[in-house]
Amino acid sequence: MLKATDLTKTYNGVAALDRLNLEVAPGDVFCLLGANGAGKTTTINLFLNFIEPSGGTAQVNGLDVTRQPLETKRWLAYIPEQVMLYRHLTGLENLDYFTALSGTDHYPPDQLRAFFKQVGLQDGVADQRVSTYSKGMRQKVGIAIALAKQAKALLLDEPTSGLDPKASNEFSRLLQRLSGEGVAVLMATHDLFRAKESGTRVGIMNQGQLKQTLTTAEIGHADLERIYLEQMHD
Amino acid sequence: MTATIFKKELTEMLRDGRFRWLSTSVLVLLGAAVLMGMAHTRDVQTQHETAQAAARQDWVGQGEKNPHSAVHYGTYAFKPTMALSAIDPGVDPYVGVSAFLEGHRQNQFEFRPAQDATAMQRFGQLTAATVLQLLIPLLVIVMGFSVFAGEREQGTLRQLMSLGISPGRLALGKALGVSGALAIVLVPAAVLGVVALTLATPGAEVAADAPRLAMMVGAYLLYFGVFVALSLAVSAKAPSSRLALVVLLGFWIVNGLVAPRAVTDVARSLYPSPSSFEFTTGIQAALADGLDGQSPTDARMAAYQQEVLAEYGVDSVDELPISFAGLRFQKSEEMGNEVFDYYYGGLNDTFESQNRVRSLSAVVAPLLAVQSLSMGLAGTDVAQHRHFSEAAEEYRRMYVGRMNEDIAQNAGAGRYVAEAGLWASVPEFDYQAPSVGWVLANHRLSILLLFAWLAVALTLAMRAASALRPV
Repeated sequence: MLKATDLTKTYNGVAALDRLNLEVAPGDVFCLLGANGAGKTTTINLFLNFIEPSGGTAQVNGLDVTRQPLETKRWLAYIPEQVMLYRHLTGLENLDYFTALSGTDHYPPDQLRAFFKQVGLQDGVADQRVSTYSKGMRQKVGIAIALAKQAKALLLDEPTSGLDPKASNEFSRLLQRLSGEGVAVLMATHDLFRAKESGTRVGIMNQGQLKQTLTTAEIGHADLERIYLEQMHD
Repeated sequence: MTATIFKKELTEMLRDGRFRWLSTSVLVLLGAAVLMGMAHTRDVQTQHETAQAAARQDWVGQGEKNPHSAVHYGTYAFKPTMALSAIDPGVDPYVGVSAFLEGHRQNQFEFRPAQDATAMQRFGQLTAATVLQLLIPLLVIVMGFSVFAGEREQGTLRQLMSLGISPGRLALGKALGVSGALAIVLVPAAVLGVVALTLATPGAEVAADAPRLAMMVGAYLLYFGVFVALSLAVSAKAPSSRLALVVLLGFWIVNGLVAPRAVTDVARSLYPSPSSFEFTTGIQAALADGLDGQSPTDARMAAYQQEVLAEYGVDSVDELPISFAGLRFQKSEEMGNEVFDYYYGGLNDTFESQNRVRSLSAVVAPLLAVQSLSMGLAGTDVAQHRHFSEAAEEYRRMYVGRMNEDIAQNAGAGRYVAEAGLWASVPEFDYQAPSVGWVLANHRLSILLLFAWLAVALTLAMRAASALRPV
C-alpha cells in the first residue's frame, strides 16, 4: 500500500533521508523509531508530497505521489504530532469540514457524533469551540477525522504525544482494529513500548537511514530497546 | 466542496470579533456617506431647479429695454446634477456647476464648494466613493491577508492539504469566503443607497440612471475583485502572515495615497496648466490686441466698418439700411469668441492631456482606473464638465447673437427699446447630458485596465495557490 524506493531528501547537500526502501502492506503497522532528526517526519512529508523528493519515489497504492498528488491523498489519512483545528469552529464543525473536504460521502450529524464517541470524546464536547480544547482532545478529533475518511493507509507522526496513558492505550487498540480491517499504517514514534505493543514491524532510523527492520512478534521489549540503543550509538 | 470552504470561511469570519467590529464601522461610514451624499445632491438639485426657473423668469420678465442691456443683464446656466453624483461628486466641487452667461465674455464656472473649504477638507470629503475606493480595499486586505499564511502558521494547512483537495478549489472557496464577508457590508449599503436614491429622485430619473448605476456597481466589483485576488496571491506566497499584511498594506498605500498624488504632479509637469492670473491676463491682452498681439480691436473694427460700407455700397453708417450698432456688437462678440475658443480650448486640452496621463497610470494603481470610471458614470468627470460648459457657451453665443441681430434689424437712429416678447423668443437652456455610451467610450482605457488588473491578479492567485506548500 505504501512503498518507498530509494527515497532521498537532501537539504543543502545534507541527506535528511537517505535511500529509504520500505513497503507497508495492508494490515501492516510499521513503526519508525528514531531520535529527532532521524528522518521520520521527512518520510511522512514525502508520502504526503508536502516536500519534493531529491531522489527515488514514494508510492501510494501503486501511484507516484509527485505525479498524482491529489489521487494518492485520497487513500491516505494523516495525523500530525499536533492536530491543529479551526479555533472559531466547534469540534463537530471541524470534523464536518475536514470530512467534507476529504471527498468522502457526507455524514449526517449523528454519525459524526458517533466518531467522537469512538475516539473517546465525551458527549457535549463536540459542540464546544475548539479553542477550549486540550491538546489531547484535539488529538482525538484528529483521529476522528482519520477514521471518518476511511483511508486505506494511515500516516501518523507521533500521534499519541500528549495523550494520557488511557487514551494512548485506546489508540493502540484502535490501530489494531484498523490493521485487522486491512489498513496499512506508517507511524513515526519515540515510544518503544507503544511501537512494540501496536506495531507489526519496527524500523530503526538514524541520520536519515533506515538501519534495521524488526518484526515485533519475534522480539521482546528488552531486546528491542537494546537493539535501538546500539543503532543510536553508530 | 467549494461551497463547504466558502461556508467555513464565512462562519469563521463572522465569529471573529475583529471582523464584526471592522465591518460594522465600514458599513456605518459607507451608510453615512451615502445618506449625506443623497441629502446634499437632493438639496443641490432643488436649488438648481429653483434657481434655473428663477433665472428664466428674470430673463423673460425683463420688460421693455434695449436688447444690449439684456445681453449685459445675462442669465445663468446650471449643470443638472445626476443622482449618482451623491456617490461620487467627482470634480464638481472643484470646477463648479453654474455659469453666469453674459455678453462679451465667457465666464469661468461658479459655485465651487472647494473654494470655500477649509484646509482640513483638502484631505478629502467623506464620500461613498472614498469609502469604496479606499476603505473597502483595506477591509478586503484585513480579511484576506491570512487566508493561506495564517493557516500555514496555525498548522491547519498541513491537515487541509493532506486531504487531497485541489488548490484551485481551495483558492476559489477562500476567495468566495472573503467576497461573501464583503457582501455582508456592501449589500446593506447598496440597498440603503438604492432606497435613498429612489426616495430622493422622481421614478423616471431613477430608471434613467439605472444603467449607469449598474455599470458603477460592476466597476467597483471588478476593483474589489482585484484586491481579493491579490490578497489571496500574497497570502499564499508570503512566508508569514505578518509579511503578507505588510506587502498588501504597502500596495494599498501606493495605490490609494502615493500614486494619485504622484500622478497628478507628473501630469502637471508634463502638461502644465496656466495659473489663473496668466489665463486672465492672457485673455485680456488678446481681447485688446488680438491673438497675434498686433491687431488692436479699434483697427479691426474700423476695417470691419469699411467692409460693411463697401458691401452695401454706401459712404457712412447712417446710410446703411440696418443698424450698424447691432453688427458692431456681433463683430466684437465674434472677435471675443475667437479669443475664448483659443484660451478655453487650450485649457481644456491641457486638462484632457493631464487626464490621459492619469488614465494611463492606472497601470500602476487600479484606483486611478476605477476613480475615473466612477466619476464618468456619476456624470462628474472633467469630460462631462467640458461637455456642459461648451453647451452653456453655445447657448450664450446663440442668445447674444439673437439680441444683436434684433438690434441690427430693428434699431434705428436714437434710443431703441425692444418689446417684452423678445426675451421669451429665446428658447430656454435645455441641456442634454451625454449618453452612457459616450461616457464609456471616453473611459475605455480605464475599463480595459481594470479588466487587465483583474486578469493579472487572478493569474497570480491561481499560480500562488497551485504552488502552495504547507511547510
